[in-house]
Amino acid sequence: METKIFTYLVGGKAGEGVKKAGSVAAHLFSGMGRRVFQMDDYQSLIRGGHNFSVVSTAVGDVTSHYEKADLVVALDKRSYQMHKGHVKENGILVYNSNAVRGEAEGIGIPLTKTARRYPNPGMRIGVGAVAVLAAAVGLSKDELKELIEREYRRDLENNVPYAFDVYDLAYPEVGGRFKLEHGDKPRAILSGNQAIALGAAAGGLDAYFAYPMTPASSILHYFAAHADDLKVAVVHPENEIAVINMAIGAASVGARAMLGSSGGGLALMQEAFSMAGMAEVPLVCVLSSRPGPSTGVPTYTDQGDLYFALYQGHGEFPRFVASPGTIEEAFYLTAELLDLVWRFQTPAILVTEKHLSESSMTVEIEPDKARRPDPLMHSGGEYKRYLETEDGISPLLFPPSGQFIRWNSYEHDEAGITTEVPEQIVRMRDKRNRKYETMVEYMRSQHTVNVFGDGGPVIYTYGSTVMSVLEALRAGDIRATVVQPIYLEPFPLWEIERYGDGIVVELSSTGVFARYLREKAGINAKAVIRRYDGRPFDPVELAEQIKEAM
Amino acid sequence: MGELITYAENTWCPGCGNFGILKAFQEAVRRLEAEGIGREKLFISSGIGCHGKIADYLKLNGFYSIHGRSMATMEGAKIANPDLKVIAFVGDGDAMGEGIAHMIFAAKRNIDITVIMHDNRVYGLTTGQFTPTSVLGYKGPSTPKGSIEEPLNPLTMMLEAGATFVARGYSAKTDHLADIIAQAIMHDGFSFVDVLQPCVIFFNMYEHYNEVVTPLESVPADRDEAVRLARLEDRLPIGVFYKAEKPEYCRSLYGDWNPVAQRMPLEERRAAVTRLVTP
Repeated sequence: METKIFTYLVGGKAGEGVKKAGSVAAHLFSGMGRRVFQMDDYQSLIRGGHNFSVVSTAVGDVTSHYEKADLVVALDKRSYQMHKGHVKENGILVYNSNAVRGEAEGIGIPLTKTARRYPNPGMRIGVGAVAVLAAAVGLSKDELKELIEREYRRDLENNVPYAFDVYDLAYPEVGGRFKLEHGDKPRAILSGNQAIALGAAAGGLDAYFAYPMTPASSILHYFAAHADDLKVAVVHPENEIAVINMAIGAASVGARAMLGSSGGGLALMQEAFSMAGMAEVPLVCVLSSRPGPSTGVPTYTDQGDLYFALYQGHGEFPRFVASPGTIEEAFYLTAELLDLVWRFQTPAILVTEKHLSESSMTVEIEPDKARRPDPLMHSGGEYKRYLETEDGISPLLFPPSGQFIRWNSYEHDEAGITTEVPEQIVRMRDKRNRKYETMVEYMRSQHTVNVFGDGGPVIYTYGSTVMSVLEALRAGDIRATVVQPIYLEPFPLWEIERYGDGIVVELSSTGVFARYLREKAGINAKAVIRRYDGRPFDPVELAEQIKEAM
Repeated sequence: MGELITYAENTWCPGCGNFGILKAFQEAVRRLEAEGIGREKLFISSGIGCHGKIADYLKLNGFYSIHGRSMATMEGAKIANPDLKVIAFVGDGDAMGEGIAHMIFAAKRNIDITVIMHDNRVYGLTTGQFTPTSVLGYKGPSTPKGSIEEPLNPLTMMLEAGATFVARGYSAKTDHLADIIAQAIMHDGFSFVDVLQPCVIFFNMYEHYNEVVTPLESVPADRDEAVRLARLEDRLPIGVFYKAEKPEYCRSLYGDWNPVAQRMPLEERRAAVTRLVTP
């Protein structure tokens, strides 16, 4: 049987290697030249509980996982119960017969008992899930061996024979059941957070600051692991307040600095975010959202932080807020924001979600196309940090220098000395406002909105939900025009307003994106398709909802 | 030598201990220049409060930061450009109330910054409330019946946290203070200088300090001795309490490198990224 989209789902307890099995599957498919999307669903715990990884693959584009899978491998009882309903028509359910006892649908394989022939059986059964997949897609044992060696690297003397044992058990039942066509070429697989880190690096980042918080932590981990080869200073300080203040201090002596956190962390940073606005400090802040308010649901996805991102900080000051729609876009957009914050000397927020941050997909990235900051530098004469200029942008100068450079969180005069004089207050506030006008004028010449498709109803969406919507249109064979503002502030009204009313798709409970479109562009939502259980949309289900809304 | 003072109008109260710190710091800068450390290498910062105004008065490169955060701002500057000599002016409420985590962690990581604490044991600019170093029973607008909390001891706290240079000065002994500040800036590692600074309006300690302040004759033999001396209240020793060598944070983090001065060339960086985005 040949399928256009093939989906593999593996579920089990945390610690059993579920995510790794998903990642190995993704690399197997991309090695076949196919495109891949991997979504990991995990809970806020270290061992036990229920985790699953879904990998959807196709020869053509695929920008979402599918909830219903062709092959489901359940490593434990909970996964079996949870996912036995997630098997597509003509799909196969394989379960660990040592964990699921009694009468069960599907094919039972003694994964745990077989693993007991080797050390650390509990940690190993994820390898079994890979062996089942290898058998199902008709890999030879040699190909399986090669895959295990390439992807696991460690403990091969046990992993390879275990994989062979499981393969031998599975082959008579599922062997060669799915024939997967080869695609054009192998592609790299990146998670959204890796793309953000690499985009920043290509965009000239010098220093990254972060305190661990899901789902942003893997940016910190990636930078820390690659600090030496990328030559980036990577710092994990005492708390988020230190994070942003350090990043601001680093920028004030010329470092291209970035930080990352989730809503709670950014909430702690608000006061210093305002300082970046007042002192005109270039700074990129990554806000990777999860369902809130407060601790909320830490390891799941949501877009309810939209207004929080837009209105970070107290007081009036210009800022950029942008949200990438795909993992590739996350790479280029992060570099672009670094360029923009240095061009306009003001903070930016890259707002994204767990679904982009921690999902992975095949990408084609050209690092030479990443933008790099080229800030306006002081070119002679007496230096004034906040020199009044027509466009509101004052030249930069960094120490060591014989000149007087003063950054200031207080209202200040041109030299950066504190002021309370009414005329000076007005002049500086006007200067920052002029800078905002310059930003808007500049953004009019930039690519600020993505439009996909042509004709049919207009669908407005942004962030990682773009990927879900595009896949839903393919899944449901729906003709529509998808309008995605990449920039949310300054809002690209000049691009958006021509599209008029439409359907809005977002991950929030109150429809904050629909509200924003109405507020900014007078666009009325004909329907607001929302999801707010922390899970990303399933393309098949979303396609139905879009059809209903049409 | 050029002027070290800006055109900003000085708005400290007449007789304020901050004048002594400003004077001592200028003298320290001159001593550093005599040692070959030019003022263009200095980068200063302050928090918010009466102490913070020093950022407006000193004509040196720097960042007038927010309440409690000047230490973090300066850690960032140091990490980005370790060739700078970085100094954070802080207040006792600013650093030990609002920003205490930064103070403890900067000491813990032994990052080469100098923290100069204007310790007047009162919030002056907000009209005289008690601070973390105020004495038990201190009466202010938020503690009309007297403070019910014991004060923190900044010196023992910094010694415990891992600071490798810990000293105390007195704003009325500017020459002695200038010497301590110059030593602190020259020290390779985290330096903390607690400066006894009378607030003439809300907590005037001149008479008391003049009576009990006693210069140390030498640096105490070890940290235990430093802690013992730092706890004394009947006489208040001033001078260097502790000085030690320990690996410095930035060098431990990335070795002998300067992130802003030795940026990886564009081509190399892109090649490194390309390797990571190639299947």
